[in-house]
Amino acid sequence: MKALRIAGAVVLAAGMLLAAGCGSSSSTPSATASGPITGTLTVWDYYGSATPIKPAVAAFQKLHPDLKINYQAVDYDTFQQKFSVGVSSGAPPDVATLDMTWIPEYASQGVLTDVSALSGGTLNGRPIAAQYTPGALHAMTYQGHLVTMLYDFDAYALYYRADLFKQKGIAAPTTWSQFSAAARKLAVTRGGKAVKYGFQVLPDTFHFAQMLFQSGGTILNSDDTQAAFDSPAGVTALNYMKSFLDDGTGVYWGPDQGDSSGIAGIKDQRIGMFLNGPYMMGILKSSAPEQKGEWAVAPAPINTRPGSYLGGTGLAIPANAKNPAAAWAFAQFLLTPSQQIGVYKYGGAAPATTAALHDPLLTKPDPYFGGQAPFAVFLQAMSTATPFPYVKPWSDIDTAISDGVTSALLGKQSAADALKGAAGRTNDLLAGQ
Amino acid sequence: MARVGLHPHTRRALTGYALIAPAMLVTTAFLLVPMALSAYWSLTTYNGITAPTWVGLHNYVALFQDPRFLRSLSNTVAFVILGMTIGPALGLCAALLLNERIHGRAFFRTAIFLPVTTSLVVVATVWKMLLNDQGIVNAVLSFFGLSGHAWLADPSTALYAVILVSVWQGLGFEAVVFLAALQSIPHDLYDAARVDGANSWRRFRHVTLPGLRPTLLFVFVIGIIGSFQVFDQMFVMTQGGPVGSTETIVYYLIDRFQALELGRASAVAYILLAILATLSAIQFRLFEERS
Amino acid sequence: MKGRSLRRTLVYAALIASAVIMLGPFFWTLSTSLKPTSDVFSSPPKWIPNPFTLQGYRDVLALPFPRYLLNSIVVSFSVVTLNVVFATAAAYAFAKLRFPGRNALFFILLLTLMVPFQVNLIPLYRIMVDLHNISPLIGANTYFGLIAPSAVQVFGIFLMRQFIASIPDAILESARLDGASEFRILRSIIFPLAAPAIATLAIFTFVTAWNDFLWPLIVTNTDSMRTLPVGLALLSRKNTVNWTATMAGAVITVIPMLAVFAVLQRRFIEGLTAGAVKGAS
Repeated sequence: MKALRIAGAVVLAAGMLLAAGCGSSSSTPSATASGPITGTLTVWDYYGSATPIKPAVAAFQKLHPDLKINYQAVDYDTFQQKFSVGVSSGAPPDVATLDMTWIPEYASQGVLTDVSALSGGTLNGRPIAAQYTPGALHAMTYQGHLVTMLYDFDAYALYYRADLFKQKGIAAPTTWSQFSAAARKLAVTRGGKAVKYGFQVLPDTFHFAQMLFQSGGTILNSDDTQAAFDSPAGVTALNYMKSFLDDGTGVYWGPDQGDSSGIAGIKDQRIGMFLNGPYMMGILKSSAPEQKGEWAVAPAPINTRPGSYLGGTGLAIPANAKNPAAAWAFAQFLLTPSQQIGVYKYGGAAPATTAALHDPLLTKPDPYFGGQAPFAVFLQAMSTATPFPYVKPWSDIDTAISDGVTSALLGKQSAADALKGAAGRTNDLLAGQ
Repeated sequence: MARVGLHPHTRRALTGYALIAPAMLVTTAFLLVPMALSAYWSLTTYNGITAPTWVGLHNYVALFQDPRFLRSLSNTVAFVILGMTIGPALGLCAALLLNERIHGRAFFRTAIFLPVTTSLVVVATVWKMLLNDQGIVNAVLSFFGLSGHAWLADPSTALYAVILVSVWQGLGFEAVVFLAALQSIPHDLYDAARVDGANSWRRFRHVTLPGLRPTLLFVFVIGIIGSFQVFDQMFVMTQGGPVGSTETIVYYLIDRFQALELGRASAVAYILLAILATLSAIQFRLFEERS
Repeated sequence: MKGRSLRRTLVYAALIASAVIMLGPFFWTLSTSLKPTSDVFSSPPKWIPNPFTLQGYRDVLALPFPRYLLNSIVVSFSVVTLNVVFATAAAYAFAKLRFPGRNALFFILLLTLMVPFQVNLIPLYRIMVDLHNISPLIGANTYFGLIAPSAVQVFGIFLMRQFIASIPDAILESARLDGASEFRILRSIIFPLAAPAIATLAIFTFVTAWNDFLWPLIVTNTDSMRTLPVGLALLSRKNTVNWTATMAGAVITVIPMLAVFAVLQRRFIEGLTAGAVKGAS
């Protein structure tokens, strides 16, 4: 199945190249070709206060004065609920930001517009396939069709308190054993628990996958029919996560902490290291300006090989969107190089199109990170990152895995048993889809 | 007004219809029609976009084979049973205390009642912070030499923590209702019992409790029906986690809705309706028996 | 005598302990809302904010908390007014007027009392979206959408009917002999006589409407329409949680209700517990 999907993506990409190469873009039934953009355009955006989309809306409005733009900021945490309510009751947005991990659930329900058809294979007059990395194209494709356009990408690297590392004479770790040693030197513990400068241990699929991929494991088998995360690599990965809690160098960041970004713990110094994606650069700058110059980013330390999950934000057009023409025009506008740079400039996150990835602004030294250019680190992480499997029950599988990870980290079950249980649930879900 | 020509009875009947019209209209449009739609959807596979496909009772059958739904059912039952034993028990204790001859009864009554006026969302938000690993509850416990705990992060304690928060919020209601009932028990009954030489436990057992019976029953019924629909606390405090330990029926319903399984979500709603209808029937029976 | 004073001491100790447990969280909420974010989980805990800051309040006022407050007020007062008028009118008809189908209709209403709101949630939202497509003034994400589904609560009709039934028919008959219309009787006899029950209904409806969460969460899309509990829940579930702002939001949400409670204390308690006491007596 996975092979089929990749083949589909390749064929699709080739087709798009062909289409773009043979004729001028005007011969394709592209939405951009169809006169002025009018009507109402509804945009839902989960970025929050540091959004690059809101300024883009203003700029787009200037280009299309006759268009009425209805911009709505919707919180990330409740976005899916709002999106489902909107789509299922006939009040969908025209363009929505969707976390790439939500795509399979919606794509399999037929909720998302087939962008391949809508776009005619071109984005701003150039073939789509030529504007993304192969990994990104793979992530945007569901069963041979493009269902979303990647807007920002997410892959993990290690954020650490460079000021404390320097003070305590710790070098940025590159392997797991160095990582554990660094955590032991960094953390201030009381009663066997890290009270300051701990490594943030998040009990979720993203962070487990990080350790799993780095140990050579995969989430599902090669044709996406069976769980594979309960392999010895998975057990190693989970036990390694737990080792930070066992030796009192990790801070368990459960749902009771109130957020997954850990910003509260970063601000009150409980967290000194964490693994997360580029969007945290923006969150650190806007929410913890007082820690300017204290943080740096390094590639995630590896066990046997580098790896990370590959995700990000996709721009999606619901199948029942009222104004798909305006939606596609706006999506294209958001993906022009100048707007893509806005993802970094306003949101502190990582743009997704290849043109934007090589913009010199991204490699300019960043004073917040002590003159480092952390973006290069994420680019490197992206090159070895893999998206989560595109299977219909993914969100339920995600829940099963994070439940297993939680049980093991809290010592309710051994890592092997917890993963075996989660794998059983996953296999049932895959069999029942 | 067309008074002439209409028989007073007819006019009064027409007025009757006019007076109930707004109520019937709102009930029909916003209650009965949605109920019928929901009943139909529960027999289909439906994502809100493509037309529903008829599947008969498949959603109901599938739910009772779904471990997550069964877990949400058992979590809800645990919430109801524990909440409805601890809550009324503590409420009764508080009412008995308030019924003593004391100074400052108004103050204590207000203090105990205060959380009832506060929305569950506020209560849940505040307690999420209090029960945090670093929160004040653990700080107070450690002051008394007890070790703290990440109450809401641990699947074996999260549900109990949510129950205690709910009890804290509802306690004042039960206390005040019981207090009113206690004060309506005639004093001569106690005097007579005292003359018969009954000690305070026997007076409680044979005078107070029987006097409270109808109120107790009512508090249980109201509380049980309300508790079966618990959602707000979970939405704010735990999001149904950790490891699904606080996922309740309504939480699961919303989750299925979010997954665009509208048919499945509607079936969950009707199962909840069946449970509540059964409980209401029992309630009705009990009240009939009494009167 | 000694036993009695020991007993009194224990009673007071238990009452004081309960008061601390019940009031403590309110105090801690207020205290946290006045702290800088770095002091929220400070160890040892700071009971009195030091340093003291209004930053949390500035943060939530920048979010449109004043707007949420306005929405909550508009919605709650509309719901109370509509319920008082419609429930009393319907209750009067059900209690004192004869018309074909009266008992059957009342029975249907009673049956809906046990239907959990969640059953209607999704279709109701769809209906609201359809209404919104007819006119942007009604339906989803409007005041109409927030208010209409709770405009008439069956429980209110039930409560009022019980009360109105106890008003002697003789009073109504003599008014009718004087030529008063049924509407006039409703306005100048039933409403004044039922004032205590109306107060109960009003308080009960006000508290439920003010604290309502699930429906406002679903039916509103934009900040300009959110009510206080929804705004607060979304604030507390943000990806970057800000506890001092969240607690400031909690204080703002609670204060109006506490103010009403302080003014109308006795009525308030009666209002909220009326159902239980009446039903059981």
